[in-house]
Amino acid sequence: MKMESSNPPKIVCFMCNWAFCEEEMRVPYNVNVIRVMCVGRMDPALVLETFANGAEGVLLVGCKPPDCHFVDGNLHAERAVKMLKKLLALAGLEPERLKLLLVSPLEDKDFSRHAKGFSEEVWKLGNSPLSKEEIVANLIAAKEAASAFRLRVLLGREEELTEFMNAYGEKIPEEEFDALLDDIVRAEFIRYKIHYLTRTKPRSVKELAQILGIKPSAVLRHITNMRRKGMIALDHVEGYTPLYKALEVR
Amino acid sequence: MRESQKDFEPKIVGFLCNWCAYAGADLAGVSRIQYPPNIRVIRVMCSGRIDPAFILEALKNGADGVLVAGCHLPSDCHYLSGNFKALRRVTLLKRVLKDFGIEPERVRLEWVSASEGDKFAAVVRDMVEQIKKLGPNPLKVMEEKK
Amino acid sequence: MAEGKVGAVLVVGGGVAGIQAALDLADSGFKVYMVDQSPSIGGVMAQLDKTFPTNDCSMCILAPKLVAAGRHPNISLITNSEVLGLSGEAGNFEVKIRKRSRYINEEKCNGCGLCAQKCPVEAIDTYNKGLTDRSAVYVEFPQAVPLRFKIDREKCIGCRTCQEVCKANAVEYDQKDSEIVLNVGAIILAPGFEPFDARLKSEYGYGRYANVVTSIEFERILSASGPYGGIVLRPSDGEIPRKIAFIQCVGSRDAQLGNNYCSAACCMYSIKEAIIAKEHVPTKLDCTIFYMDIRAYGKEFDAYYKRAQEEYGIRFVRSRVASITEDPATGNLLVHYVGEDETPRIEEFDMVVLSTGMQSPKDVEKLAKTLGIKLNKYRFCETKTFTPLETSKPGVYVCGAFSSPKDIPESVAQASGAAAKAMAIIAPERGKLIAVKEYPAERDVSQEEPRIGVFICHCGINIGGIVRVPEVVEYAKKLPNVVYAEDNLYTCSDDTQKRIKEKIKEYNLNRVVVASCTPRTHEPLFRETVREAGLNPYLFEMANIRDQCSWVHMHEPDEATEKAKDLVRSVVAKARLLKPLKNPTVKVTPVGLVIGGGVSGMTAALELANQGFEVHLVEREKELGGHLRKIYYLLEGEDPQKHLERLVKAVMENRLIHVYLGAEVVEVSGFVGNFKSKIRLSSGEEKEVEHGVVIVATGAVEYKPKEYLYGEDPRVMTQHELEEKIAKGEFKAKKVVMIQCVGARNEERPNCARICCGQAIKNALKIKEQNPDADVYVLYKDVRSYGFKEEYYREAAAKGVIFINYSDERKPKVTNDGGKLKVAFYEPVLKQEVQLEPDYVILSAATIPNPDNKRIAEMLKVPLTKDGFFLEAHMKLRPVDFQTDGVFLCGMAHSPKFIDESISQACAAAARAATILSKKVLEMEGIVASVDEDLCSGCRICEFLCPYGAIEMKERDGKIVAHVIEALCKGCGVCGTACPTKAITLGHFTTEEILAQVRAVLQEMEVAAK
Repeated sequence: MKMESSNPPKIVCFMCNWAFCEEEMRVPYNVNVIRVMCVGRMDPALVLETFANGAEGVLLVGCKPPDCHFVDGNLHAERAVKMLKKLLALAGLEPERLKLLLVSPLEDKDFSRHAKGFSEEVWKLGNSPLSKEEIVANLIAAKEAASAFRLRVLLGREEELTEFMNAYGEKIPEEEFDALLDDIVRAEFIRYKIHYLTRTKPRSVKELAQILGIKPSAVLRHITNMRRKGMIALDHVEGYTPLYKALEVR
Repeated sequence: MRESQKDFEPKIVGFLCNWCAYAGADLAGVSRIQYPPNIRVIRVMCSGRIDPAFILEALKNGADGVLVAGCHLPSDCHYLSGNFKALRRVTLLKRVLKDFGIEPERVRLEWVSASEGDKFAAVVRDMVEQIKKLGPNPLKVMEEKK
Repeated sequence: MAEGKVGAVLVVGGGVAGIQAALDLADSGFKVYMVDQSPSIGGVMAQLDKTFPTNDCSMCILAPKLVAAGRHPNISLITNSEVLGLSGEAGNFEVKIRKRSRYINEEKCNGCGLCAQKCPVEAIDTYNKGLTDRSAVYVEFPQAVPLRFKIDREKCIGCRTCQEVCKANAVEYDQKDSEIVLNVGAIILAPGFEPFDARLKSEYGYGRYANVVTSIEFERILSASGPYGGIVLRPSDGEIPRKIAFIQCVGSRDAQLGNNYCSAACCMYSIKEAIIAKEHVPTKLDCTIFYMDIRAYGKEFDAYYKRAQEEYGIRFVRSRVASITEDPATGNLLVHYVGEDETPRIEEFDMVVLSTGMQSPKDVEKLAKTLGIKLNKYRFCETKTFTPLETSKPGVYVCGAFSSPKDIPESVAQASGAAAKAMAIIAPERGKLIAVKEYPAERDVSQEEPRIGVFICHCGINIGGIVRVPEVVEYAKKLPNVVYAEDNLYTCSDDTQKRIKEKIKEYNLNRVVVASCTPRTHEPLFRETVREAGLNPYLFEMANIRDQCSWVHMHEPDEATEKAKDLVRSVVAKARLLKPLKNPTVKVTPVGLVIGGGVSGMTAALELANQGFEVHLVEREKELGGHLRKIYYLLEGEDPQKHLERLVKAVMENRLIHVYLGAEVVEVSGFVGNFKSKIRLSSGEEKEVEHGVVIVATGAVEYKPKEYLYGEDPRVMTQHELEEKIAKGEFKAKKVVMIQCVGARNEERPNCARICCGQAIKNALKIKEQNPDADVYVLYKDVRSYGFKEEYYREAAAKGVIFINYSDERKPKVTNDGGKLKVAFYEPVLKQEVQLEPDYVILSAATIPNPDNKRIAEMLKVPLTKDGFFLEAHMKLRPVDFQTDGVFLCGMAHSPKFIDESISQACAAAARAATILSKKVLEMEGIVASVDEDLCSGCRICEFLCPYGAIEMKERDGKIVAHVIEALCKGCGVCGTACPTKAITLGHFTTEEILAQVRAVLQEMEVAAK
């Protein structure tokens, strides 16, 4: 059961440089605003890092189309948020803790209303049922998955593939791409989680399956793929149980 | 232990037969299996070609370890029985190394097949560890003292 | 379509059989097109971990063949393709091929693998049997030939990542399927097999229970390059199993499924898998094999079977497993079976391996229809006993598992045999379609100082992304004798070859060093390049800074750069000493000598003559025919005597074959291409003949039993004696007992004699045919009616022939009790002693080696097995070659076998011989040993050590010195290492060269002042 916490949640807000001007900014004390050039160009890993560092909610504020200073940064932001929400869910955090707010710089003048609203939404979610260590571990894994080449490529190509055409002159239906992304995000998250878990000490397939709450057969398959990619290696065998240890990935 | 030994990086010379061990080392590469960069490989056609003189020359020139690797016993040898000859020669050599004041463990004979990229990498890793423990080639140390 | 015959052959299927056929054809002057559906060649053998009965690593022995086929100038690989249509006739066919798009330009792709590393999409890895994944752009396995990537269009999302990372610009998303038309004179079919789909045997739970795997999956699990890195693991939880069950005959010998044949190889591969599993598992592992009969019928197989039991403690349970269930809590499997004592049992295992049988590939009907060939009822290619390599369509031949399930050596023998068949119909066209390359005259560099050019490859970013290549180039420029160095994006690309040649001219280079990938794949290419520039190809050397440097030290750019420098320095040190080598040549006498005039010898002689070679055929007996003369009828129904008559006539009438009856070869000297032999004729005279090859076809003999009252009681006879009596109509009996394995599978001769089970079934059926009321009992250890012979076993059982198992501990007893012939034995079902009073006892006497083998082996300097049969060069891949070049074997001289198998081998021996006889001169590898006669002390150590007999002692100026027979030397260098006076050394790997490498790799060379 979720406990509603007594203190307002810690919120970090990444705000587009062009969204609100200084005079429009009355910020609640639990919200920390960090200005960025464009939310669309922000590294998704940074958001996960922010959560890992203790933020209970992250608000991304950008400009509504067609006002984006960088033409289509807002679209990038939408895609990144979609993927981030998948990763948050995998990490055991409510996807609602992340919100993308697109405002029109000319019309929208009241930031504090948005900030308070979001803050309350997050407050209602209460504390995560997972322990702090677990969440931090999950978020580190999620962050590393998000920084890895595979997800970055997919994120970078989504627009091209789903809205224009792929290399074969076909357009990939949004749902199809989304399903593929789901699978890959999940796989990458699990692999980086396995990687995280085996950094400090070698672990067995069964042990990993128990921690991850998935079938051992699935863990084994991930390990075969991680072996192929040079992420993990057999450390030693105890009796009938092989234990694996993470290899340094750079 | 001397100060410098702490970050001592051994130099290892590997004599690999073309058909099995060298192919296994290549497979480690294709599979991107990482191992420490301490080994320098010299390719020969057959482990039976590896003259104890080559090993001694390597030790004389400052190698901290020598790896000899060929096809698995008994029947993997491309040239029928070269691996047995290597076995005999290396075994004999290791016996006399002591007299030179060199730890026989610095010379290692391994069988690595063309599909054992993993094993090749593991052998190198293990050998680097082992030789780090042994410290630098005593011949080199003597040389330095002079 | 071209007129007349065409000197080219199409080989369909690029497994080990197809490769062997292609190599034999290409090596004897024919153009070969090899079509395979897969993106690379290698077939099922490329997936195997080890091979029985020698436990050789499968990839280690296959890879050299893959490479040889891949770079043979006369072989065109047409992969990812299928046959669409055929027209024309034997000698001149037109074949239409569809080449499916790879979406990768084969010419441009250099196999660097960057695309696969960066591809964001994963697909099921079919090479690893679905146990792991691969990327959507892929090669099947690292050693793939051709090493060209392919895009899995099903999975690819077209994200263009591969195109962007490919520095060779090889990705072509708009590549379309294409059709090509080939003109060939003959076709060889080698499409192989596919494993039975174990899901169809639903009671075994494959596909439902994670820890039930098929044998081919288990091969991948065992393989060091497999998904689990060679540790045996349970797919359900990654634990190492303690107890594995192997279940035989899954999809074979199964009338319910309609697969009423035996898959012939599963018993052996399961034994092998059990042995290897035990070797791989560090802790204790129990392996149990559930079988109906262990069919270890091949050469040295029973010895292997015995070792499995005695040395490895593998348990064998004779029982057909009823079903398998899973304990969902543990993933363990409960095997339900009826024990040997007839009681139902349930035994728990950690893992179950299903020995899935062989069946013809999926779309084989389509292929058969396209080509117009007949299939048998099991969808295998139809063949006949006396024409085992011929399909129903003239000019189209078959080999390997497509004609019947078989193991690797038989497939390889058939492949060579099919090649011989193809060669014969287009023999006049030999040499007409092959590429002959002209090279410029070789520059004499002997008086020049070494001038070395160094070319360092970035391999896209494979090397350059880690090793600082420009720094290595600058370093190389300062090395002694290096007059030029540069870096290339891809040193192997076509334009770089041109550049290397230009630089050789411009800088007057006389040594070339390339630092790039592995010499195992790329050395031949660069040697070719320097040769085209007028340099001797051995003035080239390679440093491997990718596979053994940048790829394995990806996170240590500094160390990797230093290592690359060391490796370049070491190789430059060697290059300074390199000497030009000549490829030794020997002239070939285009004549064959065949020893033995049985069905094998006659077939081999005829096949050689059909290709236009003269043959001396020497038979010890007064007439031709050998063993076949004693065979009167066959299981398959053909008339062997008629065939024999035809064969003898064909041999006697052939003008190219000289037959010597009642004669013996008494002396053989010389070596490949140049033998001289003495034949002692029936008149007692000796005749000397010159020839280029020898084929040993000395056959085998029937064992004369010492047991079971044989020779004491006339009612006890051998199968051959029975057959003769039946054929002459002299046999009448109401009750017959046959005893199997007489003189085989015992202490003295541990191996199976292979053909006796078939003989017993054949004669039992004949007795039943003549008198359906006759009682026939067959007392056996295992009924080894492998392949399609299984069907006759079933027929015999259905007709009332009673098969009763006996064990070594309780052998049958035959007695003469006051004139009554009695056989007593233990009946395992009734669990009691039974006594019969038959009219006759028929002994299935083993086929044992020709007693003359020993003499012939010594004369030819070739080895025998412990049993006394001839021992081939390699049990798996060189079944009809001897280690001694130019000497071949076939038929029962090799081991007992059926007629069709002997004929296949005889054709194979002829094809292998033709690879030599078809050449006017043989060119040998240049890396051979040489002797400094002044230093040689004549101690003979090298002569003793040489595994190839390539060293002989000769007199020179009054002293005995070693002399290398270059034609026999294989270049291992063992001799040089052992020579006490350093008189003998191996070219290109001389002691000085290697020592220079050793010193240079460890010490900075003096930086030459330039």
